Order: sequence, then structure tokens, then C-alpha cells
Amino acid sequence: MQRFPDLRAVQTLFWRLVSAPEGVRKGAAELTRVGALESEDLSFLVRPDARLGSTERLDVYADMYFYRLRDCLAEDFPKVAAWIGEARFHNLVTDYLLAQPPTHFSLRELGRALPDFLDAHALSGELPALADLARLEWARVDVFDDADATPLSREALLRSAAPPEELALVLIPSARLLSLDVSVLPLWKRLDAPGGRGADADGPHEGGEIRGVRVWRRGFEVFHRSLPADEECALASLASGGATLAELGELLVDCRPSGAAPDAARRLASLLDLWARDELLTRPH
Amino acid sequence: MNPVPDLGHGVGLRREHFERVLEAPTRVDWFEVISENFMVKGGRPLHVLERVRRDYPVVLHGVSLSIGTTDPLDCDYLDRLRELASRVEPAWVSDHLCWTGVGGHNAHDLLPLPYTEEALDHVVARVAAVQERLGRRIALENVSTYLSFRGSTLPEWEFLSEVAVRADCGILLDVNNVYVSAANHGFDPRVYLEAIPHDRVWQVHLAGHTDHGSHLLDTHSRRVCDEVWELYRFASRSLGRVASLVEWDEQIPEWDVLQAESLRAREIRREALADRAADA
Repeated sequence: MQRFPDLRAVQTLFWRLVSAPEGVRKGAAELTRVGALESEDLSFLVRPDARLGSTERLDVYADMYFYRLRDCLAEDFPKVAAWIGEARFHNLVTDYLLAQPPTHFSLRELGRALPDFLDAHALSGELPALADLARLEWARVDVFDDADATPLSREALLRSAAPPEELALVLIPSARLLSLDVSVLPLWKRLDAPGGRGADADGPHEGGEIRGVRVWRRGFEVFHRSLPADEECALASLASGGATLAELGELLVDCRPSGAAPDAARRLASLLDLWARDELLTRPH
Repeated sequence: MNPVPDLGHGVGLRREHFERVLEAPTRVDWFEVISENFMVKGGRPLHVLERVRRDYPVVLHGVSLSIGTTDPLDCDYLDRLRELASRVEPAWVSDHLCWTGVGGHNAHDLLPLPYTEEALDHVVARVAAVQERLGRRIALENVSTYLSFRGSTLPEWEFLSEVAVRADCGILLDVNNVYVSAANHGFDPRVYLEAIPHDRVWQVHLAGHTDHGSHLLDTHSRRVCDEVWELYRFASRSLGRVASLVEWDEQIPEWDVLQAESLRAREIRREALADRAADA
């Protein structure tokens, strides 16, 4: 029988067995094949008894590892899970954990890399908007507990005596600007509708075009909405270090949709009103 | 002499009960929160915790300290825990006598240690380092286990006791975990409860488990079973006035159901302390 190893080796072996994608038995077979184990018999490590063998006892931990993480990802990505269905979500989680085993101390961070992982996953060949749907779900998770800020009210903006070239504004920390496949928001609505669960409920899916979306937290509630090009341009500036009112006005002229009237002052006033109502603006530190 | 106060009888604060706890007084004495859930920058969880803390004692209970791993201590984690503790001012800070990952990975599970002299020395040294970094003593909880290592040379209760005494830390005694592990490994849970140093027990945990036939699983998904209540009665006679906490993490019930579990703990401890006084 193989000798019981030291603590480091016990933990390394335990981890490799319980995180093996196809279970402890196949994990042990693979470790034996590569010479990390003398044989697939794990009784040198874990005592078997009449109720459960060594492998079955390790399987208890393997199951808990996978299902806890799968449940966490299903909670953070409910629409991805609903769209692709239980079996494909299970396989996706298996692939993801193999490629990106969790390293952060908090389960909250488990899904952070999933949208980028999906970009290169085979499922995205079949469902091109899947990664962007995940991106939107993750942004909503991410802003939920991001830093608080005191939002600027419409009244505070109106009261400000600073001239436009000096009145600096920034986007609140709990906001994200995304560039998403144009089909994601209609897909989101379909998945929200009664009976809108699973791939069969998916409507026409063309996709391909990219659209700006903002995700933000107002109070403790998280929202998202699509962005016209000029608003996206202005918010991008507010998100990357901030901008003065005067700079925002210039951006709106530069980014206005083709054919739109060049009344930047009126457009800025309308956007400031909207952003203040959505509690998107704050003052730079 | 136990260095921590008897907080009475509490429950684990979960988001399903945030509204209820904030909107009206409750009949529980204190709350325990999962530390990692509040190591965030802002938003509703921290807001709720600060509101709750104004009205109740709070204990920070972690799941990612990984005191038994052979990886280096995660100083970033410890610093964030210290920062959270200075913000919340908890009655105490606790985590589990286990490891959660190795090689930089985190299984997000409470994994069992081999009960060996090597593991004991390793854990004792790390508890000392953690307590120094946090600037406070911590309590460690016994976990439910589903396997025993071939190389273990000590019973679990001796391992836990040695860690507590040598590292000068507290014990968070999870009575349900003692029951689950006793059933899974075939030992007498009362031997365990009698063997540990009672003056180091800062807190008791109570929870429900699930019977899978071949083994019991610590699921926190149901009421505390009668056998565990009886074990709690037995423990309370030895421990005296030690705070209790009911955990419920899956299939979380209405507030009143959870609160009733805490009230039952209060009643059982009251009876046990009366028995203890009569015996004396």
C-alpha cells in the first residue's frame, strides 16, 4: 500500500481528486496513469468502511465542490442558465471550473471570468449572444455591492454656481458601460416573460450589431438600459476620469447621431435631467 | 473563566430575512453573519449589517480563513477581515478548523484535516500568526466530516482541544457537526463533548442535517433534529452559559420558523442550567 503522505501532499492529492471533472474514480485513474498515484486504490489515503469505500467518501466532497459552485453560478447567471437549459449549463460549469478553478476567497467572484470564457466556448458558436448575456448578468452582480457614492440631484446641479467649464462630474462607482450584441436586451425580456425559459423559448436571433448599455445601481436596486450613441460617448467620458459640463457639451456635438439636430445644449440638459433622476452622477473626489 | 460574554441565543442573518429584521424587533438576542459576504465595497448588504449592528450584538463567522492549508496565509484576506471587524466591532470573530484549498485554489468547502502531529503543529502556528495579524483571538469551529484519513493518529476532539489550548484560541462548538461526524465515523458524541476544554467554548452552533443513508450531510436545510437538541442539552449542562446560534442556509424558512428554533435553544439551555444548578 502507498505510504500516507505529508500534509502538503495530502491536500494536493485531495484537491486533484475532488476537482477532477469526471469524478474521483476517473481522477484517480488519470493520476495513476501519470504516476502521481501508485494505484487507483485510495485506501492508503482514506479509510473505507462497510458503508462507503475510500473513493465514495471522497466523492461526497467532489459532489459538494461541483454542485455548490454550479448553484452559485446559476444564481449569478440565471438567464444564461435558463437559455441554454440545465444539461448544457451543467457542462458549461464543468468546462469553466476546469479552465478557471476558483482562486478568490469569496464565492462572489466565482463568475467574474465567465463572460470572457464564453467568448471562446463552443456554445457561443451556436448562440453568439451568450457571452454578452453573461456580461450583462455579471455587470448587474458587480454593481450590486460596489462602492456607495452620494449622487448629485437635479436640484444640486441647478444650484451649482460653477461655470460649465469648471463644473466637473464623474459616473458613480456602481455603474458599468457595456458594449453588447444588439439582441441581448430583447432576449433578456423574452427570458423574463412567463414561460420564457430554455432554448426553445428563444425567438429569432440575428445579432451581430453592437449596442451600448448602461448598468447601474440606484439606491439598492440594479437597473440596465440601452444607450444612444451620444449618451454612450458622454458617459464613457464621465466613467474615465470625469468631464466638465463644457466638455460634455462638446462630446455630444461630436457624437450626435447622423441627422440629429445640433442642439447640444438642449440635449445636454435633457441627459443631465435623466442622469440625475437615475442617480448616475457624483462629484469627483 | 470564559473570556467572551454570553450573548444569549441568536441566528445566522441571511438576506431572506433582511427586511423582517430591520422592520420590527425580534425575539433573538444576537446575529452571526458570514464575514466574506460583507467584505464588499458598499450596497445593501453592508447597509443592512450596519443597521442590524445598531440594535444587536454581531459575530463575524468566516468560511475562507483556511487555517489548515499548507498555502501561505492570505494576508489580503486577513487585512480585509481586520478592516471589517474594526467597522462592525463584533463580539468575536470565528472560522473553521479545516482547509478550503491548496495551490492557490479555493474549493469553497470546509475540507477535513488529517489528525496528525504534523497537522497539529501546522495549525497551531498558523492560528498564532492569524491572531497576531488580526490583533484579536479567534474561535475555531469543528466541521462535519465525511471521511477519515488513514494517517490520522489523534481523535478529532483531542486535535481540536490541542489546537485551542496550544494556540490559545476559542472553540465554536457545532453540536450538529459533532453529531454528524459521530454518525459518519462511529464514535460517541458525548465522549467528544466531555473531552474538549469547556472553558474555551465561546459559542455553540445548532443546525439541521440530511440523512443520505450511507452518511449524514451537514446541509443547514431543516430544523434541528431531536437527537441534536438532546446533545445540546447535554452540552449545556457542562458548558454553562455559552451563547447559542441556529444556522439555516438552504431552503430558508419564514422568519418565525427560524426564530422558533432559537427560542427552543433558549428553553433547552434554561432547563439544562436548572438541572446543573440542582446537581451542584
